[in-house]
Amino acid sequence: MIPDHDPQDITRVLFDNFPLWMLTTFYVVAIGAIGVFLYGVWAQIRKYRRGMRAGAWSPFWPRFRTMFARVLDHKTIKRRARGAGAAHMFIFYGFTVLFIGTSIITLDHDITGPITGLHFWHGAFYLFFSLAMDLAGLSLLGGLLYMMYRRGWLKPPRLNYHRPDRSPEDPDYDRSDYRREDWAFLWALILIGMTGYLVESVRLVWLQNDPAVWNYRWWSPVGASLAQLMKGFGMTPEGAANFRMVLWWTHGILALTFIALVPYTKVKHIFTAMGSLMARDPEAKRRMPMADVEAEKIGFSLLTDFSDKYLVNVDACTKCGRCHEACPANASGYPLSPRDLVLSLRELANDKLSHASMPEGPIEVIGTEVNMIRPETLWSCRTCAACVEICPVGIEHLPMIVQMRRALIEDGNFDTILQPTLKSLQKSGNSLGENKRKRPRWTQKLDFEITDARTEPVDVLWYVGDYASFDPRSQKVTITFARILKAAGINFGILYEDEQTAGNDVRRIGEEGLFQSLAEANIELLNSCQFKTIVTTDPHTFNTIRNEYPEFGGNYEIEHASSMLERLIREGKIPQPANLDYRVTFHDPCHLGRINDCTEAPRQVLQSMGVDLVELGRSRDNSFCCGAGGGRIWLPDPPELKKPAELRAAEAAEIPGLDVLVVNCPKCLNMLEDGVKGTGNEGNFRVLELTELLAEAMGLDAKPKDEDEASETAAVPA
Amino acid sequence: MKILVPVKQIASLDDQFEMRDDGRDVDEDYLEKDLNEFDHFSVEEALLIKEAAGDEVEVVVAIVGDDDADDALRTALAKGADRGIRVWDDALANADGTSIARILAKLVEREKPDMVFTGAQSSDFGSATTGMALAGLLGWPHAAVVSNLEYKPGASSATLRRELEGGLEEVMTIKCPAVLSIQLGINQPRYASLRGIKQAKQKPVDELSLDDLGLDASDVAPAFNVRKMYAPQRGKAELITGSAAEQAARLAQIIKEIRGM
Repeated sequence: MIPDHDPQDITRVLFDNFPLWMLTTFYVVAIGAIGVFLYGVWAQIRKYRRGMRAGAWSPFWPRFRTMFARVLDHKTIKRRARGAGAAHMFIFYGFTVLFIGTSIITLDHDITGPITGLHFWHGAFYLFFSLAMDLAGLSLLGGLLYMMYRRGWLKPPRLNYHRPDRSPEDPDYDRSDYRREDWAFLWALILIGMTGYLVESVRLVWLQNDPAVWNYRWWSPVGASLAQLMKGFGMTPEGAANFRMVLWWTHGILALTFIALVPYTKVKHIFTAMGSLMARDPEAKRRMPMADVEAEKIGFSLLTDFSDKYLVNVDACTKCGRCHEACPANASGYPLSPRDLVLSLRELANDKLSHASMPEGPIEVIGTEVNMIRPETLWSCRTCAACVEICPVGIEHLPMIVQMRRALIEDGNFDTILQPTLKSLQKSGNSLGENKRKRPRWTQKLDFEITDARTEPVDVLWYVGDYASFDPRSQKVTITFARILKAAGINFGILYEDEQTAGNDVRRIGEEGLFQSLAEANIELLNSCQFKTIVTTDPHTFNTIRNEYPEFGGNYEIEHASSMLERLIREGKIPQPANLDYRVTFHDPCHLGRINDCTEAPRQVLQSMGVDLVELGRSRDNSFCCGAGGGRIWLPDPPELKKPAELRAAEAAEIPGLDVLVVNCPKCLNMLEDGVKGTGNEGNFRVLELTELLAEAMGLDAKPKDEDEASETAAVPA
Repeated sequence: MKILVPVKQIASLDDQFEMRDDGRDVDEDYLEKDLNEFDHFSVEEALLIKEAAGDEVEVVVAIVGDDDADDALRTALAKGADRGIRVWDDALANADGTSIARILAKLVEREKPDMVFTGAQSSDFGSATTGMALAGLLGWPHAAVVSNLEYKPGASSATLRRELEGGLEEVMTIKCPAVLSIQLGINQPRYASLRGIKQAKQKPVDELSLDDLGLDASDVAPAFNVRKMYAPQRGKAELITGSAAEQAARLAQIIKEIRGM
């Protein structure tokens, strides 16, 4: 490889031809840049530490390993953005190799060399180093150019920072500073990369007569090609030497400025994204944060109520817009974009927590001033967790929103239409304003009696849920499910009037005290019953019992109806359903699919009926919320806005020849039936629960027993 | 400066229920207890005055009822009232509005409030007598069905608006102290979170007996007695459609059914 030379001579000149003052200047500038960088890092950490300390980074090493794996494999960055994900990977690996390379030079020249006399940056190592650096530069520049193309020409809507919930006169309307910063970032890196290549090539031209340099030039293929070109244009070694000085300094100053500015600009995402990913709570989309309801205060109303983790979260946002695009509230024109919420919190924190001393008095977060979160923004959320799911850097928008809602509820700052619902939940344990006694009334429409699980042991305890118990449309599904269980010979029972709502929506609307009281009462009741497993048709109930009750001492094995039906068919407990000649599509309920990863069982049930399943454009983890979650089913949607369910119905209507839009949740059923009506698709396809479709395939009579009219029409005064 | 807000725990009825064995009331099992709807508004009105004036105003809520009534009292305390008073004696089981007013009059003597706000009526029995009787016993001015109030703590008079029949409204000035019966819709009552209601347990509640107020059972004996309570038999209606002949035939059939022919 190095036939004619002492390997010691195969290396790169660094400061040759530099007068002392120039060398000194460089070191002063470099150390200064590192100082500015370190101060910035310290100031950022000080800002985060002004939040509540949450211990979100421990245990450190397992979390570090997970984070490191995500950073290396770029899995979260590639999701739903393949091009940008790949380009980011090129930039990341290019940048990382170049950074490591530059650190190696520093190590050799300024640390091991001066201290121990050990020099290793020469010979074969140097040649491979040169090649790696040149390829890394290509990777970096290629990635950057794609990103420029994407921002400048492709212009995906998700990168548009205009806030749909602000008007042009609002100072945070278009966030144009962010746009300028994006371009400055891209240009800065491109210029650093390009000047790097130019320095390399003029060095080669300058030293063309030194065989220890020139003979090995192709180990720097890009630099060598450029050098060849320069020579071709007649550049002399002397001219190259002068040019090298100018380029060297340009490259150096650019790179050092870049390093100095890291903690003050979007470049800091290198660190904040890692910190945020490390602190990520995999349960964040399923389990809302625990709160001490006895404490003086509940929820987040002040910036200082936010934990250090959330402050890192909001600083980690790269404005990639995936959450903005996925959010059903934003898509329907509600004043909420998870991205803008996070960015408002970021700006507020930068404004209030970045200075040497804290501002006097409390820092309110909820309000109408710039960078404050408006109450209507918080009430727009459907808690579908689409934002948490897709965020590439592990931001947990949903728990933050719920925490702020807790403060609003405590303050009574909410739509008064919600009051009767919450009062009904307090009094009767249901959200429909119905008397407790009415809860099991749907069972009267059955021609058999359901076991009272409060008094008799059962195999399966069926937790029916609010909508499934009271909503007339959902009751039909409930009755059908009861018949299927009966037909399958399952020993099951219900809790009759003692069942109360499990509280998923109560917790998500922010009424934590009520949620905890419901959870405790339900757990006490469940613990007094004898059963093996729980089943429910309601994904909200499923989620809360499965993921939230354990924190209150309720540990149960729970199955969603879809999984149970799939199992019963597989085990032959219910006869193989007949084939239905329908073209169907399936709407994944957020709380089942995205939030609990149960996406396959309902599809297998559909498969067993031989229907032609055509997937919606957005399905499984990317399912688009029907709009009911987080208590929004209790709040009417203003008529001037599109309902998320209408957008969803329109999406289904795009499937040619669709017969049935299959849903798998009482609330989705309610919302999507309205959505289908609202979009004029009533005659085009039906909305059916999976259970109903299965009953049809099983040939079960779906009609409930006629209500006994006799008592209604008694006694006519003569 | 103090505002006394007497509240009531009312019973609401399920759509299916049974009567008590003695036929004089609904079986307790079919009743759900709650704070009287009108009292949400009277409590809110007092709290709004308190908040507008800073904290020198004390809002005291009073209830006549057994332990069960603590829930209603606590709801009012959770909203922001400063303290509560609960008066109970088994002799009060059948108390009417006037008996309650006698107890409240003693409480007014004891507490010396500057204003008393009651709900316009209770949403279960709807007699609308307590506030009026209390004003009579105290010799204070009284205004019923108050739908708007302008009152500064410590002022010698208040300006208020009342709803009259036939869509008329009346604006009047009333000398203070006074008893005002507050109408629904005068304000937007706030929500008491369950956490707030639980925490309201820490707020002071005086529990008083008739003795403590210098009253005995004969002072609160009701002036009336419920003899019977029942659900009237429901009539039946039917829309007869079709041609004239069909309608006539159906009508004839109904007449025959009723006459047992």
